[in-house]
Amino acid sequence: MINGTVVELSRIQFAATALYHFLFVPLTLGLSFLLAAMETVYVTTGKPIYRQMTQFWGKLFMINFALGVATGLTMEFQFGTNWSFYSSFVGDIFGAPLAIEGLMAFFMESTFVGLMVFGWERLSKGQHLAVTWLVALGSNLSALWILIANSFMQDPQGAVFDPTTMRMQLSSFPRLVFSPDAQSKFVHTSIAGYVTAAIFVAGVSAFYLLRNRHTELAKRSFRMAALFGVMATIGVITLGDALGFVDAQAQPTKLAAMEGLWRSEAAPMPFNLIAFPDQAMQENHAAVQVPALLSLLVTHSLDGTVPGVDELEQQAALRIDNGIPAVEALQVLSKHPNDAAALAQFKLHEQDLGYGFLVQRYAPDLEKVTPQDIARAARDSIPPVAAVFWSFRLMVGFGLLMLAFFVLAVLYSLRNRVQEKAWFLKAALWMIPVPFLANEAGWLVAELGRQPWTVYGMLPTWMSASTHSVGYMAFSLTGFIAVYTAFIIVEMYLMVRAIRHGPEESGHEGGAAPRPRPRPVLAPRPLPAAPRETNLEG
Amino acid sequence: MKTFAYFVLFLMLAFVVILLAALLGARGAWYFAWMVGTAMIVLISAASAALLDTQEEHEAASHVGADAGSRT
Repeated sequence: MINGTVVELSRIQFAATALYHFLFVPLTLGLSFLLAAMETVYVTTGKPIYRQMTQFWGKLFMINFALGVATGLTMEFQFGTNWSFYSSFVGDIFGAPLAIEGLMAFFMESTFVGLMVFGWERLSKGQHLAVTWLVALGSNLSALWILIANSFMQDPQGAVFDPTTMRMQLSSFPRLVFSPDAQSKFVHTSIAGYVTAAIFVAGVSAFYLLRNRHTELAKRSFRMAALFGVMATIGVITLGDALGFVDAQAQPTKLAAMEGLWRSEAAPMPFNLIAFPDQAMQENHAAVQVPALLSLLVTHSLDGTVPGVDELEQQAALRIDNGIPAVEALQVLSKHPNDAAALAQFKLHEQDLGYGFLVQRYAPDLEKVTPQDIARAARDSIPPVAAVFWSFRLMVGFGLLMLAFFVLAVLYSLRNRVQEKAWFLKAALWMIPVPFLANEAGWLVAELGRQPWTVYGMLPTWMSASTHSVGYMAFSLTGFIAVYTAFIIVEMYLMVRAIRHGPEESGHEGGAAPRPRPRPVLAPRPLPAAPRETNLEG
Repeated sequence: MKTFAYFVLFLMLAFVVILLAALLGARGAWYFAWMVGTAMIVLISAASAALLDTQEEHEAASHVGADAGSRT
């Protein structure tokens, strides 16, 4: 059996790299489409200020893109190095979207990024605009494929387990691509990227407006970001609701953890606005509830119910009991692949195979499994409730805060008065970290809520990892954290430097207001007599 | 001839879009919503910038008018 500490270190390493990587990705996803919007205005109006805007924000996009790619590369290798059993178990399904993601990111996106950066003087306006749109599409399509792969881990659709090869195999590519989880997750994540970019652009524009620098560029950027952001935030909230609805069907344990729902209740179910979940006691402390809201949110009906942790644990115990014969049959088939009786036994219990694996953590020899082992494994089937519960509330809270910000931003910007609202511009600066925190919280909800599975209901996390030593894992984890922290510092340094220098540093002509130069203080001199004003009309 | 080529090109484009809409609408409604929604978000954001230009031109024109009025 794999050392539990190695599994935990492998999890921490993947979580750390993914959380670092996910600081860069959403900004790339959203900023690429904002660049497309700015360049579309440039091509349609011909005004140089929009070209300057595209180039300036494009420079920040490039800093983020370069470091984002660097942090993403290692994650794909980790599937092989740290999660080798997982890779062997689901490689037939997981490999295809991962490979397409690589092709999208490194062939389509990266090729067009090069053309976008170096093509200003070499391509026509229309060609360059097409390239910018293709960069945006390429960024988002590469995200689509990695999210399809991730959705397979949340809700394994379009695959079957083959007892002769001892791994999962793809049975339907369309079911994998069009699974409800993949669809809602992609749109939710992609549009969360739009919100991130909109807040970033609004915040940096607010910085310029507060200092009265590059005001023409900043006003236009702020206006575009405000409209872009308000619509995207509404989209993110809508898709968040859709994702919750999907999770209620596909991942009931995640939903129970998100809602701190320890016990099944009659409809209409109350929503825990605030609570302090206690996993050991399986209850909430100091809960503040809103009556009937949970039924309405999760089932879109006042009569709908969702199972609580108590009911889900009972279901898990039954499934573990049913899954044990499937694992036993699999052990026979691994030695005698043509054993018809074992194959028949496996077919009878295969839908609960993963639950059979779950109890093997406590009873490697399944003939000696006890009711206590089954009860412990059933308890394990519930994710860490407090972490998921609070990550979810942080994400939702930040989402609502951003919606309020964008509504005000649109109101002030449409009246062309935003530059007069210093308090709001300062607030816009403080808003810059909010979408990044919301994205990280959302990622924690999705991935912590999937526990204790790497592939929900099929493959437990404890048996997915590679058999490394603790020392190796601790060493590589330290290395990853050190290198990735350096990446973040480099990114922030380059971004701040580029923002302080402003758009004129891009080396292209544009309509930015010139930066005032300090003048030497001179002794007052008598002024020449001013010419008399001529009245043109009189 | 050029007009006819454009007609055929746009006809093919329309065919591809309708086919995509039908396929995605049936199997992947959220993907279709993303395509339409993203295009809308980008275009409305772009239109808002053009609106700002118009607002500023109006403001500049009204200031010129006011200045001219105050001088007479």
